[in-house]
Amino acid sequence: MADVFISVNNLKHTFTSKVENLTVLRGVSFQIEKGEIVCLLGRSGSGKTTTLNLLAGLDKPTGGEIIVNGKNITQWSTEKLHAFRLKTTGVIFQEFYLLEHLTAIESVMTPMILADDKEELAKERALELLKAVGLGDKTMNYPDELSTGQKQRVSVARAIANNPSFIIADEPTGTLDSKTGDGIMKLLLRLIKKYDMTMLYTTHDPYVAKLANRVLILHQGKVFEEKEVDPISFDYDNFEQLYRPKGDKA
Amino acid sequence: MNEIDKLTDTEIKSNFYSKFLYSTLFNLRLILKNLKHRKKSAIIIALGLIFSLTILFSSSIWVHTSQKIIADDYIETLDYEMYINTFLPNAMNEVYDYLSDDSVVRQVDWQYVTYALFNFENKEQNYTVFPESEQDDLEDPISLTNAIIVPTRAIERIKLNLEIEGNASLNSGEIMVSYSEAKELEKTYKKTITPGEIITVAITRRIPNTDIGEDELRFFDIDETTYYNYTISGIFKYTGTDGIIDKLIGAKGAGNIVDSVLFPMEDLTYEDLYIFETNGLLPKLLVKTDAEKLRTGNIETMPDNLLALKERIEINYYHTFCRILKHEIETMANEYKRTFSSAALFIPAIAAALILTVLATQMTIKRRGKEIALLRSRGASSVQIIGIFFSEYSIIGIFSLLVSFGLSIITAAAFPLIAGGKSITAYNLSRFMQYLDISAYEIEIFSIIVLGIYLGVTFVNIVSFVKKDVQEVLLITRKGQRILSLGVNIAVFVLVFVGFILLLIEFRNVFDPFDTYGFDSIERSSMVLLAFMGVIFFICYYISMGIVLLLQKTPKVYRLIFKNRGFFIYHNIKRKTKTLTELTFFLILIISLLTFLISIRSITETNIELENNYRNGSDIRVQTTVPINISEYNERFSKIEGIEDTLGFYSLRATIGTQDVEVFGVDPLKYLSVGNWIEHSFQNTTVEEALTALEETLDGLIISDYTANRLRLSIGRHMFITDFKGGPFSLPLLITGIISSAPGLGVAHGNDPKMVKSADEYVLVNQEILQSIGVENGSLFLLSVGKNVDIDQIIEQIQSISPLLIVNPEKINPNYIGYFITKYIPHVSVTLMLGIIVLSFVAIVYIMISTDFILNQRRKEYAVLLALGGKQTKIRGLVIGEILVFVVSAILIGVPVGLLTALSSLSFIKPLLIPREIVPIVFEPGILMLLVAIFSLILASLITIIPLIRKQTKFEIVHELRITE
Repeated sequence: MADVFISVNNLKHTFTSKVENLTVLRGVSFQIEKGEIVCLLGRSGSGKTTTLNLLAGLDKPTGGEIIVNGKNITQWSTEKLHAFRLKTTGVIFQEFYLLEHLTAIESVMTPMILADDKEELAKERALELLKAVGLGDKTMNYPDELSTGQKQRVSVARAIANNPSFIIADEPTGTLDSKTGDGIMKLLLRLIKKYDMTMLYTTHDPYVAKLANRVLILHQGKVFEEKEVDPISFDYDNFEQLYRPKGDKA
Repeated sequence: MNEIDKLTDTEIKSNFYSKFLYSTLFNLRLILKNLKHRKKSAIIIALGLIFSLTILFSSSIWVHTSQKIIADDYIETLDYEMYINTFLPNAMNEVYDYLSDDSVVRQVDWQYVTYALFNFENKEQNYTVFPESEQDDLEDPISLTNAIIVPTRAIERIKLNLEIEGNASLNSGEIMVSYSEAKELEKTYKKTITPGEIITVAITRRIPNTDIGEDELRFFDIDETTYYNYTISGIFKYTGTDGIIDKLIGAKGAGNIVDSVLFPMEDLTYEDLYIFETNGLLPKLLVKTDAEKLRTGNIETMPDNLLALKERIEINYYHTFCRILKHEIETMANEYKRTFSSAALFIPAIAAALILTVLATQMTIKRRGKEIALLRSRGASSVQIIGIFFSEYSIIGIFSLLVSFGLSIITAAAFPLIAGGKSITAYNLSRFMQYLDISAYEIEIFSIIVLGIYLGVTFVNIVSFVKKDVQEVLLITRKGQRILSLGVNIAVFVLVFVGFILLLIEFRNVFDPFDTYGFDSIERSSMVLLAFMGVIFFICYYISMGIVLLLQKTPKVYRLIFKNRGFFIYHNIKRKTKTLTELTFFLILIISLLTFLISIRSITETNIELENNYRNGSDIRVQTTVPINISEYNERFSKIEGIEDTLGFYSLRATIGTQDVEVFGVDPLKYLSVGNWIEHSFQNTTVEEALTALEETLDGLIISDYTANRLRLSIGRHMFITDFKGGPFSLPLLITGIISSAPGLGVAHGNDPKMVKSADEYVLVNQEILQSIGVENGSLFLLSVGKNVDIDQIIEQIQSISPLLIVNPEKINPNYIGYFITKYIPHVSVTLMLGIIVLSFVAIVYIMISTDFILNQRRKEYAVLLALGGKQTKIRGLVIGEILVFVVSAILIGVPVGLLTALSSLSFIKPLLIPREIVPIVFEPGILMLLVAIFSLILASLITIIPLIRKQTKFEIVHELRITE
């Protein structure tokens, strides 16, 4: 039996504001094995990004626990979470979030510099990664000199700069056209396999979801599991009737 | 036909008006809401404007108000402003009546000088009185002294020159007696004479001519003017140095009052006064002016108004000769002008505050890009957007203007408090309100300048935000705009620089380094300073551009200093943002100005100290108002333990050419060792050479550089001194030295307001020359002391020798007008200190708001870095590191620029700092104070920005990323 790398147990999260409290996650539970590529599928507002943010240590849940490689990160201090994000996880955002004043190579160097690596070594590795993502000739380009696909490639290279064990990608193809998005996903999957990483990504596109080993469907704050998704017949409106919650025997 | 066409004209108009009104009200509500929403930035902008405007307004109010107060108070410190002599005493009544009706004149008093006698009652008419030391009965002598006859009310003016034991009262039946005369009466009557003593006094109606043997009592004509049982109301010491009494009967005049009695004129009859005049005792008129009338116009017209009065009298009454205090009043007006003009040194602080306000406004505009985009997306036109934005800032401007005006009246009233507070009893708020004078014109000008700059720059910033429209309207590309902007910048710099050069040339034309600096020099100096500040502004700007380029090209330096953080700091600085350029420029400017002010202050303080040391003359200075025996006191002083050497200055008045001089007889080698000489004391020779030459040449003479130049004299030429009092008619002396100034004596020629000079010029001779003609007395001693002695104890011992001795006076001439003026207007060093404080405060505020602005602009970036695994402390460290890079760069550049600015400004700034350069100004940059200021600035900046950074970087990553999506 493959090792369980991530275990999410009864995860809950509520956003509080002056106006109202919004409960997004109502007890989400699932597990991801080492080396697995899992997709979290769901509509806009279903809690996909929230789940990813909690797993990445960007936020703390209001209930439940997240166990990563045997450690409960929900108990961790801010300092430990910083180190977790730096060394253990690599995050890819839908909006890329490249810093406008850094070139492609400098963007990729950023996590390594934050991890106190020497600048020369970081530069070497960054170059290597950019070549790996097919941007060997765009190292000195600023974000406004790159296409959206190229920006996302830089974002991918940045995410794997510190050799993380776990990649989290929030709608990595959300802003890309289908052809570019397809290219990005294939690149990601190739790199995940090459560097032996685990990946959890979100999408609302069933075509992109199909590329994962396994799909989790998030709906109304709860997760449903489905091993396979047929993108053509996938029906968001009626899937609650069609699919049973995890653990529920037919 | 549409709906509009159906409407009548009236209906169309009312529709338009109501729409206009509605949209105006809507816009106004929007503007007020925007202001409320942006309270913090609005407050900062308003505070900056209020500060600049308040300082300018209150300076203007105080210029106009203080002139009147100072003029009135100064006139009140003078006994009189004019005396009138005549050779036709019969016509004097007419002159008296004329003066009494003149609007400028407040009071006119008669004055006669004759003799008074005591202890004469039991003497026969043939008793020989004169000479007093050889009179008939030395066991029971008559005491003979000067009698000053004045009206009762005159004592209120004359007492300003006196230190009185008892009362300053000259009512009928009272007399006042001088201290020396009181001592003599004690010997005569063999009892202590104190105020309240009853005494018999005779006023002589003629001065006997002893040359023809009139030395007996009968010749004094006292039969009708003997007064019994008069009360000595007060015993006085004469302390006056400036004023009409001093010129007439004081130390600078005949010296009558020093040893005299004061007698009320009302106790004499008309017949007595007639006999005085018949006997050649001619009256004088003492004139007191009305300050308010004298200062009609402004303070600078006072000398001319007084001169006009003199001329009116002399033209109408040819037999009169008038002596006025034109010079003293001119000095007062000059000193007022200088002290006030030195406020120009505060201009950099005001300019810095204004620039801060403008930059803060720029930052707030830059933050509103999204708002503009939103308004555009809803259909707002550029004009509407500009209108809304500009109206907001205009409201802030108008509000600031109104607040400033009210505040400035209060701060103007506080000027004397800042000035020193010692005269606070002489000054109160109601007096200020009574004299309050506001120049509407100046208020308008300052408002236009400050608000004009603020609103003008704001308008340009707002419009430049509307880039598309500007480009469309102006048909210029962004590159074109940059070139145009640079071109305008350079053109303005060239204009300012040329203006500075021209003003400097004008200044050099009127500047006389060898005389007291007059109105013209002071005025031009302040103009040159302002132009110079403009030049420095541009120089700092260009330097800052260079520094930013340099900072962007040195990644290795960042790595070296900051290690890994250097990567982020360098890349942040490498951004070509205007904010960073502005930050660098403004910090360099502030640090330069701060250094400049600190240096100038230090230079001024050093000069004052050196000058005081030089004026004091030696370790201990002893001066008297009454001449005393030099050798006697030299001996007394030398007996005091701790005193190494003593030098007395024999002195008397004489004439060189037509110049009235004071002749000081000294022991040259003693003067060399005792005096605090400076390198520039002598022209073309060293101090040692000059004094040795005088020692070796018994008939040697050291004259002033002014006289040497005027009469084309040089060392080795002979010179005659004439009119020695009580000595030979003239004395031929050999010029052995040409002197500019001497320790203890001041400048050799000309007005030296901080010193007490009986004549405008002095010369030095060997003391043996004066001793040989019977001169024994003088008023000045310089004493040197040994090492490690208790000077205070020595001073105490000296003071105990005689109450006439004044030892190491804090103010050699307590009547120096500068001391008077600085009670109302802060001394230049106070102004500079205030400027330093304000600049430091402005720098800290600017660093704070820039940090706040940068942090706001970079929230997303920091959120991303945190998301990638960066620590909070690291992020904060980056921000601090970046700010420190700018602060340290600004210090490394700004300090040398400031020092160079201070050094180069010495060529034109002297009239604003000192009345005259006695001791050459030394460039003393005040390194210690500079270090303290810089260190405090860095510390204060860190203290203010660290909490700000902590607050701004303490956010939720997810929340921050979400906001910016």
